[in-house]
Amino acid sequence: MSIKQLDEYRYLIPKTFREGMNVEGMVYASSEIFDAIERDETLNQVANVATLPGLVGRSLAMPDAHQGYGFAIGGVAAADMEKGVVSAGGVGFDINCGVRLLASNYSMKEVGPKIDPLLNQMFSSIPCGTGKSGILQISFDQLDKVLREGAHWAVENGCGTEEDIAHIEETGMIAGADPGEVSNRAKQRGKDQLGTLGSGNHFVEIQYISEIFDEQAAAVFGLGMDQIVMMIHSGSRGLGHQVCTDYLEVMQEAMPKYKIKAVDRQLACVPVRSKEGQSYLKAMAAAANFAFANRQMISHWARKSFKQVIGRGELRLIYDVAHNIAKEEEHTIDGRKIKVLVHRKGATRAFPARHHGIPDDYFETGQPVLIPGSMGTCSYVMVGTEKAMSETFGSICHGAGRVMSRHAAKKDTSAEQLIARLKEKGIHVRGASKSGLSEEKPEAYKDVRVVVDIVHNAGIARKVAKMVPIGVIKG
Amino acid sequence: MKHLNGLAAERLYEVKQEFKFIDHPSDFGIEAYGESVQDVFKNAALGLISAVAVSSGIEIRQERKIEINAMDRDNLLVRWLTEILYLYDAEKFLTADVKFEKLTETFLKAKIFGEVYNSTRHELKADVKAVTYHQLKIEEKNGDWTARIFVDV
Repeated sequence: MSIKQLDEYRYLIPKTFREGMNVEGMVYASSEIFDAIERDETLNQVANVATLPGLVGRSLAMPDAHQGYGFAIGGVAAADMEKGVVSAGGVGFDINCGVRLLASNYSMKEVGPKIDPLLNQMFSSIPCGTGKSGILQISFDQLDKVLREGAHWAVENGCGTEEDIAHIEETGMIAGADPGEVSNRAKQRGKDQLGTLGSGNHFVEIQYISEIFDEQAAAVFGLGMDQIVMMIHSGSRGLGHQVCTDYLEVMQEAMPKYKIKAVDRQLACVPVRSKEGQSYLKAMAAAANFAFANRQMISHWARKSFKQVIGRGELRLIYDVAHNIAKEEEHTIDGRKIKVLVHRKGATRAFPARHHGIPDDYFETGQPVLIPGSMGTCSYVMVGTEKAMSETFGSICHGAGRVMSRHAAKKDTSAEQLIARLKEKGIHVRGASKSGLSEEKPEAYKDVRVVVDIVHNAGIARKVAKMVPIGVIKG
Repeated sequence: MKHLNGLAAERLYEVKQEFKFIDHPSDFGIEAYGESVQDVFKNAALGLISAVAVSSGIEIRQERKIEINAMDRDNLLVRWLTEILYLYDAEKFLTADVKFEKLTETFLKAKIFGEVYNSTRHELKADVKAVTYHQLKIEEKNGDWTARIFVDV
């Protein structure tokens, strides 16, 4: 049986799509976006994920979905805590890659003319690009503390405030993290990388708010027209990459013991409650905490730069969300409340108002969901809805999603051309790598406006504000 | 699948580099060629290093010893390249040449030669996060070996 379009934004992948599917698949897309998704391996990967033991609900793909490794990027899958599995590939290599948004008290008019000196200052104070070590020199003992405490460690060391902590998913510290489950190799890879942006699609952007869709929610989040905000996108660096690499091997070796066969080696998995599954979750939490601390440190240097160039006032943390993570949550499936492990692989948690786990000051409004677009377009703040709870395990997309390979992106655009073109649009760019910059050109991504509209119109989140970049630092 | 040019033609000392970068919707892969499994394992490693740094400037100043046990040959290739990547990311060691003392389906013992990254002489290109099993293949046709591997960047 083939894929069935249920309505304007929902495509159902029936269990008959491929052998061994335990649950159906669902893709959130418009017909135009679905055509793009169909071109690569995404649909097969959504169906492959549906073969994992103990999955509940559906194997989901968000409108930014594209081909990944094992799991599609933009994928969400929840496993029963008692009967289901955990997959290291379902979280991905960059554990807790995520974004945060900070808001200033300044308007576009005030910051716009100073954008070049601001970018220069930030570019020199935030380590970015490939091979860059951090400014911090920390011991292995201190690293263990970072892995246990996440953003709390940074705040205790004077890099942030208690208000920051309240505005981070899981308060920037996932409980149960155990540095003892993180290999020495992972620690070795990550030790000098705390407080570094990295390369690839990681960035810091200075943006201004160009449109407000939901006045009430925007007011609660402290966002207004023309306001200057800063978005930071980074993850757990080499430490997280190595944790995933290590546990893919652990899981593959353990699978015969649990009589699990995966259709793709990248989908290696073990029962959530198994020894290996628990070890992975403790190591994943530690890597996620490293990423929270990493974004906190980057914010610290970005704030210092902002103060130096622009002047008075604080950059308030609006929120910080994880894009690659597995979380134990309670969801209602077929009218029954159950504990599940939600894998979000390039997807964002989007909890509605009055839900446990969102900051007190946002409790009546819902969780801010941050959706970065490509550097030449725009980014969004959205807010979670009840519908996401009933359909998508309280999850939505995480960005625009690539449509062009890195090679294809570089082929007909030089970094110089791209920088000049963006400057004409009022976007100033600093990049650590020229070829890396071309790989991230706007056309390499889907139109984030279309992606966000699908999510909004499907009702799984609501648009709150749109931001347009004026300055970009690319790793 | 489109093939990238450029690096396949690069030469490094006496080592003939036999690999190509291949396209992937979000990342890229390395296709290594040779007349033996040893050749493709070596060329895949040199391909990986060429992805992270400009390889022409890497000199042989140090050696490292590696021993790896694996579940099967595909797994051995992933673990081998993961080791090369680890040495780069954790110790900034850039591999320039490889000599295998033993290479079976599930075990390898090798010496790798190269040097530690020096910002005045080496140019880095991109971070590689990890080596994947995605569409991995190691095959032989009429005595010609090919190994294909995708990396997450």
